[in-house]
Amino acid sequence: MLRGNGTVETPSSIRGRTVARRRVIRIALLLALLPAVRVAADVQPEPMGQVERLAQPFHAHWVWVGDLVLERAALMDLDSGRFLGLVNGGYGTITPLFPSRRPELYVPATYFARRTHGERTDVLEIYDIPTLSFVAEVVLPPKRATNAVALGHAALSDDDRFVAIFNWTTGQSLSIVDVEQRRLTADIATPGCSLVYAAGPRRFVSLCGDGAVLSVTLDDDGHEASRTRSEPFFDPQADPVTEKAVRYGNQWLFVSFEGKVHPVDVSGPQIRFGEVWSLATDAERSERWRIGGLQHSAVHQQTGRFYALMHRGGPDTHKDPGEEVWIYDLASHRRLDRVKLVNPGLTVYGFPIEVGRTWIWPFNRLPDWLIDTFAPAAIAAIQVTQDDAPLLVTASQYTGSLGVYDALSGKFLRRVLPTGWTSDILLAPWDGKGKP
Amino acid sequence: MTPIDRWFTHLSRALAQRTSRRSFLGQLAAVLVGGAALPLLPVARGRALARTGVPGEPDPATPVGDPGNCDYWRHCAIDGFLCSCCGGSQHACPPGTEQSPVTWIGTCRNPADGKDYVISYNDCCGKHICGLCFCHTNKGDKPIYYPSRSNDINWCYGTTSVVYNCSTAIVVQVATQ
Repeated sequence: MLRGNGTVETPSSIRGRTVARRRVIRIALLLALLPAVRVAADVQPEPMGQVERLAQPFHAHWVWVGDLVLERAALMDLDSGRFLGLVNGGYGTITPLFPSRRPELYVPATYFARRTHGERTDVLEIYDIPTLSFVAEVVLPPKRATNAVALGHAALSDDDRFVAIFNWTTGQSLSIVDVEQRRLTADIATPGCSLVYAAGPRRFVSLCGDGAVLSVTLDDDGHEASRTRSEPFFDPQADPVTEKAVRYGNQWLFVSFEGKVHPVDVSGPQIRFGEVWSLATDAERSERWRIGGLQHSAVHQQTGRFYALMHRGGPDTHKDPGEEVWIYDLASHRRLDRVKLVNPGLTVYGFPIEVGRTWIWPFNRLPDWLIDTFAPAAIAAIQVTQDDAPLLVTASQYTGSLGVYDALSGKFLRRVLPTGWTSDILLAPWDGKGKP
Repeated sequence: MTPIDRWFTHLSRALAQRTSRRSFLGQLAAVLVGGAALPLLPVARGRALARTGVPGEPDPATPVGDPGNCDYWRHCAIDGFLCSCCGGSQHACPPGTEQSPVTWIGTCRNPADGKDYVISYNDCCGKHICGLCFCHTNKGDKPIYYPSRSNDINWCYGTTSVVYNCSTAIVVQVATQ
């Protein structure tokens, strides 16, 4: 073989050069791998005892998910999908209350000395939110209502000072706790009236069996200062409103089984009742569309949008899960959109069921396609975050998973799972801008 | 070779490199079978109970005559776990629990005789939720502020413990109105 300089190469010299080249490559590879081996060997020792803290201000897309079976509320980041932490509760549904001025939360809880029996102790637990650690408790009369509905069973006054807890012993009353001084102040009987909703700096309202509102105002010491009882604003026999009202500014929006919205204005000294309007047209009612679920309403305060969880069903389906969310403008009562919901995803024992996620595209989309196509949405709870780019969140009662949508466009964005074993309430307490 | 042919060739080669045929078929089958079962998952279904019939009631081999089924005629207004699935029956609590003396009532039609009956849904208390045969039919159910017709109230009162386990469905009498 003739090279460029005119020398002739023999097969043995070519082989020798090839061997030498391979040796160089091998050494280079070894040298390249060496840093990796060194890094693997040099993981630094880490300090023990580290515990995460939640960053402040708390993000608007952090949502609490109540889990009746695991007896807790878990905090989920809807953007990253991360599980951020949890607070436990006692027996029954767990519904934390969130003041707007302090980085703490309040959990009404019931405990038995021997879990299912023994001495009963009811408390209002106070947690520090950045550390999610228990801070203090106020012992309550042992008669807190432990019903299947999570909403309307405790409320924080608008000035963040007093918590009212609904009691049920077949008689009805409210326990009042001063959460600034952390002491029980009163036990106020509310005969014939149940549940509790905040209605001003020092006022709470309850719903009565005849369709009236009982309004109780507190003094600075947390004792009853006055009470009024309104005329009935709905007919509990013909078309009762559900317990699952939602607050819009100074209005509570109660929705009836038949989908009539009853605004209750708590801004003035007298409770006022606004114009009743309907979620469904006559044609839609004839198609059997109605509201239903465990938490069937949500509001985006800034845009004045109302979100209603709807399904097709006859009478007595007021607790059935929903298949669509209907979005309304609260100023005009005009419907803006209908969002067809998908199943939020399936979990078993805290594990997501997601066979095939690691398959090559497009087969990795097969599980989502199967769930979207064949699994009913079966949504029991909805919530909307309170920021400029709000998210609509959905949950099914029997799984620990969330469906996340753009609350303005209605576009489905993603699933967030697992959150736990079950989901019975969703809370989005922060706007991400102000305190805490 | 067209771009589509090239894409499929690339795709199938990549798939073959990553997965064995057997594992792929196995996982695909799991998804298909699991997917077919998905619509069934969130739906509570009572299991059929091998029981002798109650005189005057529908055939226990049918859903409306089976106390372990959500469609059992007495369950028209229930919301809870069926004691029939939890060691008790439609009228008796499971061992070790205590029956609440106060409760809510519903009115259900017995298809065997066409009569309406007042049904008392007494809760059984003192052990944690049974977790089996969850049914909610809610006929005539009202919100919590209307207690006598509300099945969302925990009716474990007048008992040693308020911890709810399951619900019975006891015939009180023929409804007169």
